[in-house]
Amino acid sequence: MVQKHVKRSPAAIKEALCGYISISPWLVGFIILTFIPILSTIYYSFTRWTIMDAPVWIGLENYIRMFTKEPLFYQAVRATSLYVAMSLPVIIVFGVLLSLLLNMKIKGMNFYRTLFYIPAVISGVSIAMLWTWLLQPDVGIVNTLLSYLGIQGPKWFWDPKWALPSVASMSLWKVGGSAVIYLAGLQNIPPQLYEAARIDGAGKLRIFFRITIPLLTPTLFFQLIIQMIEAFKVFTEAYVITKGGPLKATYFYLLYFYEEGFQHFNTGYASALILFLVVIIMLMTAAVNYTSKHWVYYEGEGKSK
Amino acid sequence: MNNAITIANVRKKYRQKKMLVSVLTHLFMISLSMIFLVPILWMFSTAIKSRWDIFLWPPEFFPKVWQWVNFRDVFTRVPMLRFIGNTFFIIVIKTIGELLAVPLIAYGFARLRFPGKNALFMLVISTMMIPLQTKLIPLYSMYVRIGLIDTYWPLILPAFSGTPFFIFLLIQYMKTMPRDLDDAAKIDGLGTFGILYRILLPLCIPALTIIVTYTFLWTWNEFLQPLIYLNTYEKFTIQMGLEMFKGIWSVEWNLLMAATLATMAPVLIMYFFAQKRLIGGIASVGMKG
Amino acid sequence: MKKDTMKLALVLALMVCLVGSLFAAGQKEGAVAAAPKEVVTLEWWTWDSEEYDEASQRAMVKEFEKTHPYIKINMVLLPTKGFETKMTTALGAGVGGPDVAFFSVASWYPKALVLDDLIARDKFDIGMYYKGFWDTKTQFNGKTIGLPLGVGSSLVMFNKDLFDAAGVAYPTNSWTTTEYLEIAKKVANPAKKIWGAEILTRPFRAIWYNYGPNARLYSPDSKTVEGYLNSPESLAAYEWFYDLMRSGATPTVSDMSTLSTENTGPIDLFMANRLAMATLNQGHMLNAVKAGKNFGVVREPGVGDNPRHVNAWSLLVGIWEGTQHPEEAWTFLKWYVGPEGQKFLMDNANLFPSIDAVGKQYKDADKDYVKAFLEILNDTQVAIWRGAHPSGTKVEASITDLWDKIKLGLITKAQIKAELDALVPKAQSVLDEAKKTLIY
Repeated sequence: MVQKHVKRSPAAIKEALCGYISISPWLVGFIILTFIPILSTIYYSFTRWTIMDAPVWIGLENYIRMFTKEPLFYQAVRATSLYVAMSLPVIIVFGVLLSLLLNMKIKGMNFYRTLFYIPAVISGVSIAMLWTWLLQPDVGIVNTLLSYLGIQGPKWFWDPKWALPSVASMSLWKVGGSAVIYLAGLQNIPPQLYEAARIDGAGKLRIFFRITIPLLTPTLFFQLIIQMIEAFKVFTEAYVITKGGPLKATYFYLLYFYEEGFQHFNTGYASALILFLVVIIMLMTAAVNYTSKHWVYYEGEGKSK
Repeated sequence: MNNAITIANVRKKYRQKKMLVSVLTHLFMISLSMIFLVPILWMFSTAIKSRWDIFLWPPEFFPKVWQWVNFRDVFTRVPMLRFIGNTFFIIVIKTIGELLAVPLIAYGFARLRFPGKNALFMLVISTMMIPLQTKLIPLYSMYVRIGLIDTYWPLILPAFSGTPFFIFLLIQYMKTMPRDLDDAAKIDGLGTFGILYRILLPLCIPALTIIVTYTFLWTWNEFLQPLIYLNTYEKFTIQMGLEMFKGIWSVEWNLLMAATLATMAPVLIMYFFAQKRLIGGIASVGMKG
Repeated sequence: MKKDTMKLALVLALMVCLVGSLFAAGQKEGAVAAAPKEVVTLEWWTWDSEEYDEASQRAMVKEFEKTHPYIKINMVLLPTKGFETKMTTALGAGVGGPDVAFFSVASWYPKALVLDDLIARDKFDIGMYYKGFWDTKTQFNGKTIGLPLGVGSSLVMFNKDLFDAAGVAYPTNSWTTTEYLEIAKKVANPAKKIWGAEILTRPFRAIWYNYGPNARLYSPDSKTVEGYLNSPESLAAYEWFYDLMRSGATPTVSDMSTLSTENTGPIDLFMANRLAMATLNQGHMLNAVKAGKNFGVVREPGVGDNPRHVNAWSLLVGIWEGTQHPEEAWTFLKWYVGPEGQKFLMDNANLFPSIDAVGKQYKDADKDYVKAFLEILNDTQVAIWRGAHPSGTKVEASITDLWDKIKLGLITKAQIKAELDALVPKAQSVLDEAKKTLIY
């Protein structure tokens, strides 16, 4: 892009052409399946629309209302930001730790890996039901175990202070699902590097921080963005278990969006809500992407040279 | 003689230490896996109870009478086998679509230079954050107009243009591969796409395995899209089948849990083999690098 | 080099072929289906429930097709939890909707075909339906938009075994909220985790109406909150709920929500003999009958001599305005929700028909629970205020924090009044905003 005014060499033109050809399947799909639907969402965000009536153009009113008249909006933003801040670091750290464990060369590892994958396989309501039972304050397994240790367990989903951490621990439980991605990243590190380091007399910790982590950064970068988006999109847990309560502690942004759009039929307003979220996540992603130059190491880019 | 004894001792101690570490590791892994296993046991205990015994007090972890018939009912009440077959069909076609499209797209982003690449890459990522609900109505109306409602097309087609998650994943994966590989291949006379299919793709097998695994898992768990696009009962998918156990006034928890357990098995088996493949793939990368 | 470009071309070609061939296959199917012109195929979206299961509905379709050879019914059986999403999507898209379907959400009403002309033309006898249901459930903007299928209502089921064990007399239809509280306390046995009564999931149901005409969220004309939400009657109802929550006779908040993850209410707890009284409905009642529970049925408790209310309903079945075959859809609708269809579902399943003449032939009409249920239906019906306009639910959502506070014991009884007063302007502003999308 820097060479906009410089004449391209035939080779560069050919490469660009190949580039466009190779991404063409995505581009076509993007335009038809995402871009056009989003255009209509943008249009609806400037209208008052109940799905069942014709949309009425009201200009910026939805956006003004969002920021000035809706206390729920701020509650949703607050709950979601807290959740992201609380769960994202923990999910990343535990994800790495778990995959390190699962990367050990011991007998039966295939079996363990499959076990740890189980939470990712159960979907939707079964998992919600499971958790409400496990964390049930009086008879749930978790509090029963805690009581053996002499600890009076909290009321989890049913305490405004504990509801958010409870939802976060649910997502932590599913961390085994993403282990496979870390594993692929870990296994992609050439064993020779480890050997060389060992011969140089580096300790285990040193090897971890000097070799494993740097070479895992492309995977970490991927996980960071994916998990961030996932965290912003937290919905099912609140929708099924807490219904956003108690006292709006888990009133997440997507729940707010869903209630406005699909229960209160304020679809125009809901469109504005979702566009705001998309812009926020885009900005966050762009920020992470920008910083990635400084901490993500790609062998293919030859940065070490 | 003394020396010999010491060496033997050291060896013995070393072996003992290794044993101990191994036992401890397994103990740790087993106790950790309990966190993941106990809920499954609980699901199982629900699955073998009779319908209204789930909420008894004091709670029975295992009921007096094990009602195995629940597992049979799952398949007779709802044509579950048929739904599983349908889901498998969708998965196979989608996997083919992803495997054809994703490497090509990721290659463009990871290796080729063209104007607007960064902006387009940001678009790839952005599309991941748009909730499906916002697109439902426009997509539905589009598929109705081109006559694809009540076919598997709306479920399958997007796979042929690559799922952004996979594209991003493979871009990251390809970026870690040394450029020297490309240069060497160029010298050998391989063209732009030759590098992709001859050199890079074989090295990407672990990432491709992830794509297969996730396509399988996500399609298996997908509810909203089949619900919207399918009408004919015989075409329904597994998750719609599971939803059938939730009535309007009450949920048949025992059957729902039995069905969830019974249908979980294929996914786990699939994963068991997939992650073995993951190891195999890596070993070859190690050799080449 | 050429070789690889060719390979790429091959891959792309393969993709196009795959997509194309599958397309062609889909098209062919479509062509076959569209060919026969004389027979009209209708799409009917439904779900199965305790009152009409899958098998009986399929049998009903066969029965209909026997007498109407030129109409074929494509029964689309949907999971109940997905029905709303699918229907909203189709109605919102304006294409690909069902010919006949449940119009179970008030916001869908504008998209239902107006039936008045058809009814008048065919001299279809609307007098056969219970008048209360006809007037409240089928009319929208003064027009008839559907026919009422079956009847249902909320009712209090009580577990006779638990009452006998505690030596407490059974409740009667004339009971009051005060008695309800006392009975709940007496029959509860916290040591055994047996509870007297459940925690209500939300305010402004029949009991609120029983406290007085002003104990509602806002005025009947959907304009003012002041004097309704914070009226003395509303306050009294909230205070009653407060006492219930502090009585020690209810399950814990977490127990209740553990049970209602799917919004099915306390049926599971009731069936496990751990809840002596539960506010449920006719669908749950059928479950209890099937499981051989020893139970009784009474209406929700009243307040003094105030008129008794009941939250009763009938499922509105309508025709989508975008249908290609209004004539055939009407033919099916009036058969299905008319005496023939309702009788069929009554005999072959458990539907309580909305037609008096048919209901008289109910197979278990002599059973106590059926009698009790039918008697409850005679109470004054609570008009469903949440159906007033699409954003109506939002007003209720804006005040749920108070409900949480009472449930969790975060405020005292004396503070309720101030809380209600404080909620008035908040609810009013939500209502004002909601009124902009008023459809009534």
